Amino acid sequence: MGFFVLGRGQLRRVIIIFSIVFVFLLFTSQHAIYAMHITEGILPPRWVFTWFAVSMPFVGIGIYHIKRKKKIVPSYLPLVGMLGAAVFVFSCFPIPVIALNGMTTSHPCGTGMSAVLLGPFVSVVVAAIALLIQALFLAHGGLTTLGGNIFSMGILGSFSGYFAFKIAQRCRLSLFWCGFLAGMISDLFTYLGTSIELGLLVINKGGSFFKATAEIFAVFMMTSQGILCIVEGVVVGLALLFIYKRKPSILLHLGVIKNDTKPIRA
Amino acid sequence: MGFLHHTFSDIYTRQDNWLTKTDVRIKLLYIVLLLTINLWSQNIFVSLLFLPVSFLLLLLIKIPIMAMLRSMLLPVSFAILILFIKGLHEGEKEWLSFSFVGYKVILKEEGLRSGLHTCSKVLGGISIVIIFSFTTSISQLCAGLKWFRLPNTIIELLSFIYRYVFILLDEASTMWTAQKSRLGHASWKKVIKSFGTLAGMLIIRAFERAERTNEAMQVRGYEGGGILTINLPPWRKQEYASVLGLALILPILIYIGSMQIW
Repeated sequence: MGFFVLGRGQLRRVIIIFSIVFVFLLFTSQHAIYAMHITEGILPPRWVFTWFAVSMPFVGIGIYHIKRKKKIVPSYLPLVGMLGAAVFVFSCFPIPVIALNGMTTSHPCGTGMSAVLLGPFVSVVVAAIALLIQALFLAHGGLTTLGGNIFSMGILGSFSGYFAFKIAQRCRLSLFWCGFLAGMISDLFTYLGTSIELGLLVINKGGSFFKATAEIFAVFMMTSQGILCIVEGVVVGLALLFIYKRKPSILLHLGVIKNDTKPIRA
Repeated sequence: MGFLHHTFSDIYTRQDNWLTKTDVRIKLLYIVLLLTINLWSQNIFVSLLFLPVSFLLLLLIKIPIMAMLRSMLLPVSFAILILFIKGLHEGEKEWLSFSFVGYKVILKEEGLRSGLHTCSKVLGGISIVIIFSFTTSISQLCAGLKWFRLPNTIIELLSFIYRYVFILLDEASTMWTAQKSRLGHASWKKVIKSFGTLAGMLIIRAFERAERTNEAMQVRGYEGGGILTINLPPWRKQEYASVLGLALILPILIYIGSMQIW
């Protein structure tokens, strides 16, 4: 039985055209490559529920943290909202992809920055809201894939970035390098999470999960995101250093640094 | 930086038409149930049905076709990526093979079939979501979510973030232009350094603004409780009729969606 209404030759042509369009979109878009969020309709029902079930407890704990802090410090909600908005805007920066000689731009995740400033659980809530806004008003990501995207960007991104920052601080690295590691590792883990989620789609259908995950991750890294991880790390490091020089009270207030942190020039 | 203002689809929600006037609770009910059907459908027909219906409805309320296509561009490119991944990894039966930079690429029939099924779901899902986003404002969304008992903290943060994104976006845009005009983007090194300064300044501005906003809120009597006071009116005849319409459409869509035709 034929696989399509179209003939075999016609279908081959359709696929070739689709590949050209895809490569065109991937490499020559003048706006941005938004590749880190899984789009609407990609995940089958069981994975939709699985990722929601995994993500919701983290969001719940984040809400609990905000509520508890709001009772003690009433200004906490405007602070989280405003920093969340700033991180959202930061995640919209069109960073030129150096590997493609600036032909296209990509954008940072921002979760490393928000995890360092707000803590990992609150950062998960901020990421969940940012993803909801993006899914509804930018058609970027999706509603049924929200759980999966919260897992990769919110949970993996925030926790990896936060722990990278804390471990770097424990190792007495300078503030720039702590920020650099937080930004870079949160970005890497976000893409790893997305690759795992997409790789899992081939399970039970005769495909190799590890091979698919490795290939997707390799595609992300080789096209634009590998360099972007490093660039995001540098930007987060420089941003923290800038805040430290201009308004160290902000970092002290948020508990990012203690008085003994030694920054160095970039 | 200014491109986001045009990309946000809620600029059309201020138009006066029957879809923007439709109660947000009805729209939320429709979107959740239709997305569920789209997710569960066994064939491509239900999902592909959503696409022309959505386009038609949006054209009727005079949404520019380019705005719709722009919204669909990224999800479609992602769907094509999935088509290839599935074609490469799923199934046994070889459909097409070729050599690409020394790597033998084999596309399999079962994988491509499954990939096309996914593509149809992407198109269907995005069609449903864009109807909602082109016709619903953030305040309506917050009121609707509140009615559906979503945690207040989430709704308050959502309204906060959304409100201040545009203000901070304008500030970032001004700083971006200033950096560019002072040769801050002359080389890669300078671009990255300028980004770092911009991001840092953005956080400082956000922190200062948060303090001012909190003071303003306290002056108005805020003591840490809920900040949203919007309450939706009780349902009228139109809302009941819409729910009845949904109840009539759903079984038909579920029946078509469960058919193993393709």
